[in-house]
Amino acid sequence: MNVETFKYDNRIVRAFAIATVVWGIVGMLVGLLAAVQLFFPDANLNLQFITFGRIRPLHTNAVIFAFVGNGMFMGIYYSLQRLCKARMFSDFISWFHFWGWQSIIVSAALTLPLGFTTSKEYAELEWPIKIAIAVVWVAFTVNLIGTILKRREKHMYVAIWFYLATALTVAVLHVTNSMTMPAGWFKSYSMYAGVQDALVQWWYGHNAVAFFLTTPYLGLMYYFLPKAANRPVFSYRLSIIHFWGLIFLYIWAGPHHLLYTALPDWAQSLGMVFSLMLIAPSWGGMLNGLLTLRGVWDKVRQDPVLKFMVVAVTAYGMATLEGPVMAIKTVNSLSHYTDWTVAHAHSGALGWNGFLTFSMLYFLFPRLYKTQLWSTKLANYHFWIGLLGIMFYIIPIYVAGITEGLMWKQFNKDGFLQYPNFLETIVQIVPMLRLRAIGGTLYLVGVFMMAYNLYRTAKAGEFEPDTEVQAAPMEKTVSAGAHGKLSWHRMLEGKPMLFTVLAVVAILIGGIVEIIPMYLVRENVPTIASVHPYTPLEVLGRDIYIREGCLGCHSQMIRPFRSETERYGEYSKAGEFVYDHPFLWGSERKGPDLAREGGRYPDAWHYNHMDDPRSTSPGSIMPRYPWLLTQKMEMDSLPWRLSALRRVGVPYPAGYENGPAQKDLQAQAEKIVANLKLGSVNAEPDKDIVALIAYLQRLGTDIKNAPVTTAAK
Amino acid sequence: MEQKVICGIEGVGIYGVISILICFTFFTGTFLWVICLKKNYLKHMEALPLDGSEKNSTDKNQPTKL
Repeated sequence: MNVETFKYDNRIVRAFAIATVVWGIVGMLVGLLAAVQLFFPDANLNLQFITFGRIRPLHTNAVIFAFVGNGMFMGIYYSLQRLCKARMFSDFISWFHFWGWQSIIVSAALTLPLGFTTSKEYAELEWPIKIAIAVVWVAFTVNLIGTILKRREKHMYVAIWFYLATALTVAVLHVTNSMTMPAGWFKSYSMYAGVQDALVQWWYGHNAVAFFLTTPYLGLMYYFLPKAANRPVFSYRLSIIHFWGLIFLYIWAGPHHLLYTALPDWAQSLGMVFSLMLIAPSWGGMLNGLLTLRGVWDKVRQDPVLKFMVVAVTAYGMATLEGPVMAIKTVNSLSHYTDWTVAHAHSGALGWNGFLTFSMLYFLFPRLYKTQLWSTKLANYHFWIGLLGIMFYIIPIYVAGITEGLMWKQFNKDGFLQYPNFLETIVQIVPMLRLRAIGGTLYLVGVFMMAYNLYRTAKAGEFEPDTEVQAAPMEKTVSAGAHGKLSWHRMLEGKPMLFTVLAVVAILIGGIVEIIPMYLVRENVPTIASVHPYTPLEVLGRDIYIREGCLGCHSQMIRPFRSETERYGEYSKAGEFVYDHPFLWGSERKGPDLAREGGRYPDAWHYNHMDDPRSTSPGSIMPRYPWLLTQKMEMDSLPWRLSALRRVGVPYPAGYENGPAQKDLQAQAEKIVANLKLGSVNAEPDKDIVALIAYLQRLGTDIKNAPVTTAAK
Repeated sequence: MEQKVICGIEGVGIYGVISILICFTFFTGTFLWVICLKKNYLKHMEALPLDGSEKNSTDKNQPTKL
């Protein structure tokens, strides 16, 4: 028999492993800083670059794309070579992928604190970085498919299917959601507006969770769990159903992030139903993972790798049961915009992604360095402190979320809101926010312990850059003889390109059925005659709102509940957002909804509130924004911004940006300065705060019956 | 308002029916597919991650001193 000798590339695996640990620590530290600011706002040290609104996206991007991203690549590069019995397709592409990905992370770490953001959750990075992501992702996909094509093993194990689905779907999602019109090097406006933008964003956002945080990690689970337990997967049949069921259903569920919003009811119901159906494949997968350990539970007691895996798979099961439950409209009416969502996200991120990543690191380091783990005891301590950290994190935040939701909805016996002041609901949960930070600290301490343990393991062993192995080349034709009659399935997974096409079709069906009606809706969104484009000053103000990440805490979407209309005013209509590029509905309320903020307070109130929120709202947890009072607004870029907005469909007259816009801006700014004087505030018309006040006073005023002025009241 | 928007789409009701039909067909097909798989093939696939072509002394994860 012809046997070939070849080498697995361990260097690339080690590089991604180190990056996973480093970025994991960075991302979690930033998360901890953000968590502390929620009960101690001055922890931003009055620096705009590390204020909550800017570092929240930095935290989410760092833990998702840097920590989990590098962890995913680490596991894929290790397992793919072994499952394919082939070295990676190209060493050059592997390293291009590695350094490209790290460069993207560094650019994110620089641009997000600087306020360069699109504001779309998990897709905040500006257009040049988005292009870089696409290029690096294509390189990864080429390397993945190239390796599969040159494999020596005839069949593609189910883990590889998950990797393929990840690579292809993330590419489709990223490109679709990144359609933006540049307005300078680090500013762009979404091609979509309002309702359409919201649907595309959450179609992306939900599936970023599905295809970045879930499917690749399921592939890794199907490889590393049997490997660590030294037992075959419980049911390969179930893994097939898990795969096809999951990738087919996941893509439909995005609208569950927009229940009771101005998104059409039909799309909302679709999102809800498909989310509920997702329980079936998700739990099939979880049980498949746990049942793989049948007969070896004694090993779980000793081996930290398996311990981490068991909790990870259990957390996957819990999160995938809770997610569909939260997608039920009645449950969602309570949970949405509250910390419940944050708790749900973190039970998945800390439990599923975090613990599975740790288990892979503990599995890989001894193997890469040809030694044993330096300290199993320390790894066990890490396990327990990490588990405690998760509990201390999520339990208080669940309590906080449910408390918020109930308090927002509570009416007294006379039919008035029990807690009409939003601040009352925040003050109530501050102790829980403190406990959450303790939980996060414990989790992070565990990660430091792991980093030290892995470092000592590496020091004790000797790194093996390449592992030499032997295997027979793959037969050129798929033989029907070895396993009886050739089945359709075996033929399919013997042909990776056909398999890839079918997987793409499976994910596209859901996307198409959802998004095509939304384009039809575009033609049918009732035009509200009084809704008109933002003035130039309001455009700059809106961009400051985006830059400071205000939507991290303030929604702009009043749901059609009495508890919301009593508190905030008329519920939001789809037609109000036709000029919103991007939409700014938000997903979390740590402050009140701002959809009808216009005219609620005098200009001077906003000025003082931005300077020191606690001067107008004692007990507020909002950070101070003193720099807005002194920084000049970006007048030079106004023509770029207006012409980019015109290109995406906002009807500014041709040439408006070259003169008339500046005049209009000046006039509106002078008016606000005059209003501020009435409130005993002296401000200059070219400062950021003036633009922001103009935008805030505009919010929701288009459909109010009486014209609202920005005059001090 | 949302109802009016949706009703404005011609034949919108068909989308719900199509969605359910697609799902039903998809899962029935997948279920039949896996039922028909041969045992030998499944055994081979299950064993793929456990392929022992790499020898490593750390597989047993022996506890070590702190």
